[in-house]
Amino acid sequence: MDDSSTSLSDDGSRRSRRRRLLTFADGALLWGARSSGVLVLLMLASLVVVLAAAAWPSFRAFGPGFLTSSEWRPNELERPMRNEAGQLVIEDGETVMEVVPPEFGALPVVYGTLVSSVLALVFAVPLSLGAAVFLVRVAPKWRIAGPLSFLVEFLAAIPSLAYGVWGLFVLAPLLQDRVEPLLRSVLGPVPGLGWLFRETVEVGGQVVTRDIPLTGRDMLCGSLILAIMIVPIITAISRDVLKAVPRVQIEGSIAMGATWWQSTWSMLRYSRSGLAGAIMLGLARAAGETMAVTMVIGNNNRISPSPFAPAQTMASLLANEFAEASSTLHRSALLQVALILLVMSLFINILARWLVGGSQAHAAAAH
Amino acid sequence: MKNLVAPLALTLLSAASIAAPSADVRLQGAGATFPNPLYQRWVSEFQKTNPTVKIDYQSIGSGGGIKAITEKTVHFAGSDAPLNKKELTALGETNVVQIPTCAGAVVPAYNLPDVKEAINFTGEILADIYAGKISKWNDARIAEVNPGVKLPEMAITPAWRSDGSGTTYVFTNFLATQSEAFKGSIGAGKQVQWPMGQGGKGNEGVAAAVQGTTGAVGYIELNYALANKISFGAVRNKAGKFIKASNESVSAAGAGAAASLQGSVLAANIWNQPGDNAYPIASFTYMIFHKDINTAKNADEAKALLDFLTWCINDGQKVAATMDYAPLDPAVKAKVEEALKTASFKAK
Repeated sequence: MDDSSTSLSDDGSRRSRRRRLLTFADGALLWGARSSGVLVLLMLASLVVVLAAAAWPSFRAFGPGFLTSSEWRPNELERPMRNEAGQLVIEDGETVMEVVPPEFGALPVVYGTLVSSVLALVFAVPLSLGAAVFLVRVAPKWRIAGPLSFLVEFLAAIPSLAYGVWGLFVLAPLLQDRVEPLLRSVLGPVPGLGWLFRETVEVGGQVVTRDIPLTGRDMLCGSLILAIMIVPIITAISRDVLKAVPRVQIEGSIAMGATWWQSTWSMLRYSRSGLAGAIMLGLARAAGETMAVTMVIGNNNRISPSPFAPAQTMASLLANEFAEASSTLHRSALLQVALILLVMSLFINILARWLVGGSQAHAAAAH
Repeated sequence: MKNLVAPLALTLLSAASIAAPSADVRLQGAGATFPNPLYQRWVSEFQKTNPTVKIDYQSIGSGGGIKAITEKTVHFAGSDAPLNKKELTALGETNVVQIPTCAGAVVPAYNLPDVKEAINFTGEILADIYAGKISKWNDARIAEVNPGVKLPEMAITPAWRSDGSGTTYVFTNFLATQSEAFKGSIGAGKQVQWPMGQGGKGNEGVAAAVQGTTGAVGYIELNYALANKISFGAVRNKAGKFIKASNESVSAAGAGAAASLQGSVLAANIWNQPGDNAYPIASFTYMIFHKDINTAKNADEAKALLDFLTWCINDGQKVAATMDYAPLDPAVKAKVEEALKTASFKAK
């Protein structure tokens, strides 16, 4: 009796101790998770606050004009002063010099980011949606769909520098030697398309129109590299979105006599908001991509309507200039560009989440 | 618990005893990327004879180096451009030593596969190419300084550094002395707004742009061009001679500036120097530190810093020449030695 009673109470205390330990573990886990969540939010908030504070001098100097000015000149200019009539100002037999302070405007890089990202989508979306449909509807599940999905996802893990090197040594020369001359000989003579291959530049006060030198390191090359880099993310999310389409939806359409093409189309229509979300996430990735783009886009802070002219994105501008930006205003202007990029990406991401989330809720409701 | 503490204490003790006897002196430097390969080599050579001194130079860019020395987070900074007034004031004007350590040059590289001869350039021609006023290789002005060379009728695509750099600083400053129009429209600085052409990040970016585009011209550092066997042209100097950049012609450019170097803060622009053999697009690269060396924790650190810098401008110069960095001319070296003597350790 004695033995059994002691063993019972022993057992009980061990159990309660274990329970206490478990409660403690629960609490610790809960608090750990909570504080991790808060920490992530704090990190984002501090990122915004720090960037905004650092961008303040630039904002004060240029105001909203920062977004509409195309002038990006980090150096001071010392030049002969001219009066309103455009004549040199001469006092006491000497030309009066004026010092023009540095000026910063983000329009060319905002333009470069938007155009390169949208062009990248134009190239990447058909490819990604095609691949996603193939993975979901065509490929035999085990033999092809599995390995192919893995490969597509693996593309996302390749460092962006590797894409850049490939772009610089393979893609750019290919564009320069083969693709662009071919496009020029085909499209160049077409009336109304001359702007693709000619540019108007102001040279020392004179406006000159000349052929754009085809270098292969231009907006087109940058967009193509971006397209390749965002195919994995768009494909992977589109595949998941398409998988979430209820079977009844597809079977129903086939029962109605739809052809394979028609049932695929109805599947795409059904999940259109989710697919739009996938595309938006691709867009956000394209807008923020830095290293590879810097290597192939030509890095010229100018707006040119032609995809064969060198360009610059917000991210490539930062990659190029941040290390040696010694003046406060230059640094601040760069950080303001970073802030604009952050806010833009944030909005695209929110929109994307909203679209993807909406489609999944839609799919769940249909079940 | 007791059982745990004892071995832990032992481990700590033994760790301490390993660290204790070799009282290593650690020096931290940061700054310019241009001399980085040379500085790394200097550090490893210096450490062969001074094994207790550990030196770490990080090539974060001249701007970053100046920021670091101003905030006293490093012992010395490397910079491709001498300190400007604002930077000097921030550092404390009377408490700075700035010395040139070697000289570099910027060369015009180009891509003309069918031209075997080295092309001659003048400052005015380069300025007008970069401003877009000369757009073809067979332009009369290029032909004039290249008699006998069959120049193709091909568009010139200028390539430039898209990142801020001392290379751009030297190149634009030289062009500004050659063309008033260039000075007034593009100007000079570590980074300027180029009206046309394509930008490459780093020497490698410009070199890739030049090598990848037939008819391109780009400015790159001499030692990068030599190390990568990139062909480049000669440039007309102040004396009217066409000079190809080499260690000798760059050192000669530095020699002309020796007279203007005075005091502790040595600075001289050595582009466009007189002298028949002086290459015109040259510049010094500098090391900067506090005159009272109060970035050092103790006298040992301060002594190690001065030892290292003295070694750099003496034995280090031979190493520099083998790596295609132009050594200091003896007249310049004498001024640097005087400047080094003005520094001494004063504890905080």
